[in-house]
Amino acid sequence: MPQVKTQDFFDASALSIKDPELRQALQRVGTGFDKARREAIDEVSAEVWEQWREVARQIKEHTIDHLDYYLELLHDNVNKNGGQVHFARDAEQANAIVADLVKSKGVKIVTKGKSMVSEELSLNHVLEGLGTEVYETDLGEYIIQLADETPSHLVAPALHKTKAQVAQLFTDNLGVPYTDDIEEMARVAREALRGKFLAADMGITGANFLVAETGSLVIITNEGNGRLCTSAPRIHVGITGMEKVIPSLHDLAVFLRLLPRSATGQRLTSYMSMVSGPRREADEDGPEEFHLVIVDNGRSKMLADPKLRESLYCIRCGACLNICPVYQKVGGHAYGWVYPGPIGAIVTPSLVGLKQAKDLPFASSLCGACREVCPVKINIPRMLLHLRQELTENSEPTVNSIPAWESILARCYTAIMNHPTLLSMGTKLLKLLQMPLARNGRIQRVPFAPLSRWTHSRDLPALPKRPFREIWRQELSGPNQSHQ
Amino acid sequence: MERQSGTAPTPPYHHLEETLAQLESQAQELEQRVSDNLDALLSNLAETAQLRGWNVCRAANPEAAIGYVESVVTGLKVGQVVRSAQEVFDQVPVALALQNLGISVIAIARDDQQTRDQLRNEIIASGVGITGADYAVSETGSVVVMPRLGLSRLVSLVPPVHIALVRAQDVVESLDDVFLLRRLEYHRNGGDMGSYLNFITGPSRTADIEQTLVVGVHGPKEVHMVLLE
Repeated sequence: MPQVKTQDFFDASALSIKDPELRQALQRVGTGFDKARREAIDEVSAEVWEQWREVARQIKEHTIDHLDYYLELLHDNVNKNGGQVHFARDAEQANAIVADLVKSKGVKIVTKGKSMVSEELSLNHVLEGLGTEVYETDLGEYIIQLADETPSHLVAPALHKTKAQVAQLFTDNLGVPYTDDIEEMARVAREALRGKFLAADMGITGANFLVAETGSLVIITNEGNGRLCTSAPRIHVGITGMEKVIPSLHDLAVFLRLLPRSATGQRLTSYMSMVSGPRREADEDGPEEFHLVIVDNGRSKMLADPKLRESLYCIRCGACLNICPVYQKVGGHAYGWVYPGPIGAIVTPSLVGLKQAKDLPFASSLCGACREVCPVKINIPRMLLHLRQELTENSEPTVNSIPAWESILARCYTAIMNHPTLLSMGTKLLKLLQMPLARNGRIQRVPFAPLSRWTHSRDLPALPKRPFREIWRQELSGPNQSHQ
Repeated sequence: MERQSGTAPTPPYHHLEETLAQLESQAQELEQRVSDNLDALLSNLAETAQLRGWNVCRAANPEAAIGYVESVVTGLKVGQVVRSAQEVFDQVPVALALQNLGISVIAIARDDQQTRDQLRNEIIASGVGITGADYAVSETGSVVVMPRLGLSRLVSLVPPVHIALVRAQDVVESLDDVFLLRRLEYHRNGGDMGSYLNFITGPSRTADIEQTLVVGVHGPKEVHMVLLE
């Protein structure tokens, strides 16, 4: 399990806001991914898009409600194809399964496609500990592997890096001459990994979808690394969360229409690869063995909670990250674990523990933009509120303590607003106090903190001569006036 | 996680209950629809594929197709090309034409002498990979290849350039069409539709560095779709 730094969210986000390179990189998320997403939706029309969302939502709702049935169907059909299914209760068990395969099959070199689940497991470190060479092959993952960092976005793991930073990484780690020309850097990565792809004993990928009907694993990719990891080595291992299954191959179509558009605005990625077992006898090439490792690691807890179950519908498109005003400012690393952004604010506490990640459900203004863009219509704000409620009601007072002054202020406010005479006296007092400060109905400067900071760049409205209560009583609600 | 018998949904999931006869009948409707709209589908395919980064050639006859392939291959100045062993190569004898130009053409199909490794080395040494298409999808501008005997996974992936020869009969309209036909084959065979399937929609690409698009990473940098009409 990668180090959990969720408890540092406030400090980490305070730092990221001040990082100019990170801010610049994050700005591209709005002008890049999100803009492309909106264009892709306009192209098919909002009506069609909404239909697709609704269909996808129904499929996920149905599947998750019968998850055990579909996982069993998937298991049987993968076996029928000649593949093997391994169920892993937690990270430790999942790592043990893969480590066993590596040891028993004499695996020396592993090429890896992008898998967020494998980040949950810290799988790379486990395999490297066995003396295996592990190469991340997705360019973004390759970059952060060289930097010994974790991904900061679901779809573009190296989003936070500038081209200069990548250029330096390549020079330092690959011994190539420094160049920040992006095309040249992609070529460097291609050359560096070519030999590894073809020499690898085992390819490890994630899964975007698992089709129960045909026992298939589906990945959508752009670079070609996914295809190479599933075609060149003699063993292919797919690692996935247990929520990725869909019932029928028929259902795959709507998800292929929603996911690329939501993630990067593409109509379809360069490649969609569907693995249905190891190679058949007559095939010219392909892996001799296919292993599917299905990981729980806390997902069954989310499944059991009817208020959190919806978070299992997530197809990991990243659209909620791209639209979130919080993510756009603080970036992925501040969230402190594998899954950042709005969906991360629900999934991470569920998987690492709510107390450990208590700040994450509060890392939101509840603006609801995430719910609007989610291709499977997950109601993220409702779940954030649910988690907030859990934290405030079920925890010890110290877990989420409110500062004393806020508590006192809230109590005074309640008292005043509940007693009309107190309110009346209070406003008369304030009118007296504001006299030296109010000019033409506005207060431009308050000489003491904290209001001095507030009025540094804003005016406060002054209390009016006659409060509305008085106008109402004297003029608007007399016996001669009609009112309901 | 304990493995228990999962409770089947009630009512059962519609698409998992479809009989072979129902799938056959849907496939027939598909065939009819495609043949009724073939011209429109071909145009749509060509247009969409181009938007997705394919170099598209609409060839009125096999000679035109061969001419196009010749010009691509000679333009790239490669010495060796690999191809799959699909039916389309009988209709479009591109191998012979290239060999006449002094370019070596290796069909990636094992016979008694060759091993998988030997063929793999041929693929690695080649500048272009040529395949047919099992399906071409007009909705998405994609070519679908299904590895099996005579169709290697690496032929359309390892060489830096891929040429796909698409016949009119390979064209379908949508993702739904492809998946229906695959399901039909799966259930017809009692539960097998082959080991692998790839949708190829343009050249390989990435935007992982500063969200700047770069074409040609680990897969082919250049892809050509030759539409035989």
